[in-house]
Amino acid sequence: MTRKGKISLTEDELVFSLRNREKIAIEALYDMYSSSLYGVISRIIVDTAAAEDVLQETFVKIWHSFSSYSTEKGRLFTWMVNIARNLAIDKLRSKDFKNQNKNQELENNVTFIDEQRNTVYKPELLGIKDLVQTLKPEQKSILELVYFKGYTHVEAADELGIPLGTIKTRLRMAIVELRKHFN
Amino acid sequence: MEDIKAYIESGILELYVLGDVTQEEKSQVEAMISEYPVVKAELDEIERSMEAYALENAIEPSEELRGKILNSLLTNFGDDDTFPTKKEPAKKHNVIAFPAPKANSFYKYAFAACLALLILSVAALVDMYNQLNTANTQLVALSSSNQHFSSTVKFMDHQLGIYRDTSFKVIKLKGTAKHSSALMLVAFSPIKKQVMIDMADLQLPQNDNAHQYQLWALVGGKPVSLGVFDKTASDSADMKQMQSIAQAQAFAVTLEPKGGSVNPTMDQMMVIGSF
Repeated sequence: MTRKGKISLTEDELVFSLRNREKIAIEALYDMYSSSLYGVISRIIVDTAAAEDVLQETFVKIWHSFSSYSTEKGRLFTWMVNIARNLAIDKLRSKDFKNQNKNQELENNVTFIDEQRNTVYKPELLGIKDLVQTLKPEQKSILELVYFKGYTHVEAADELGIPLGTIKTRLRMAIVELRKHFN
Repeated sequence: MEDIKAYIESGILELYVLGDVTQEEKSQVEAMISEYPVVKAELDEIERSMEAYALENAIEPSEELRGKILNSLLTNFGDDDTFPTKKEPAKKHNVIAFPAPKANSFYKYAFAACLALLILSVAALVDMYNQLNTANTQLVALSSSNQHFSSTVKFMDHQLGIYRDTSFKVIKLKGTAKHSSALMLVAFSPIKKQVMIDMADLQLPQNDNAHQYQLWALVGGKPVSLGVFDKTASDSADMKQMQSIAQAQAFAVTLEPKGGSVNPTMDQMMVIGSF
């Protein structure tokens, strides 16, 4: 498949052409959102091949269940990122994936553990680290857990040992902080 | 307004964007955003910032993955009923029925027909065989009855010959005083030295197993045995030929022990008759 450059549409145009099941809509959808979605997926699933599988499943699901999306309920990306996050978490919790992780070959162990602990230098993560550092540490940790690791706020409260109300407030503050940053 | 502000600050919209709400909370948020534009605007703000955040965190997947994923989605187009097929409408009309199943079913039907024919043939054959057997049996019965008939005719001819033969004399033996109802006919030809008794006209009581009737000829006043005979329940059409004798003055029949006696038991005399 030759690439003439990324296709970009406005969100309204994209939703319209997806509703009409137009071929170009798929390409536009991929070009506009694959990297954002992959960013979320690959923070939940470290293994590249598995993360790529989940990205593919995500697009298949978006395409097939597009009729259940409604602009009334929010932005397209919000709907898609939730699909991606849920599929990634499902994958992480699936029996196959757990077994696969248990059966890592010995010689691959060092790199596997490195990947798990994220000590490998990933240039694409450079910008985020800076950004996340503009947040307060407690805001950062809550965003990491809920947004990147797919924890529910209840699980995050448990993990961090903080009351539920505090978690909600911190999450809101973190997002308010982000809003300031991006606007 | 205070309520709405509190609702916004509760953090529920953030959780809604993160997909971390129950179904109930979800419906509630959706009701709020459709009712209050302020809430909708707030939600939109949150969504945009999270989207921007995600874009900041974006990781470009490998170049090969784009082709792979797009291909898998495009391949699914063929199976997707909802996808408009206006670009390839001709393809639908180009579908040609595969002829193989037709031939396949022909052999199936041919085989079934052969089998049916075979079963029918076997049934017909069995029926024919039965009919042939019946016909054979009938033929045997017929030929035997025919044989019986011809032998009867031959015998009757012979009997008729006896009555026509002028040398035969028919003597009526009449019952004795004890057996007045008894009666029999004896044909005697001195020339042919033959004595015949007419079994058809034999009017004697039935003899039991221990006794038999014995025919006597009186020659010069002495009785000469001409053999024994039985009176059976079923009438016979036969004429029984007795032992030959050249001359006799009279004939008599006595009831004797089975096998006959040397001398007649006179008090058991049934019939007697003379010329």
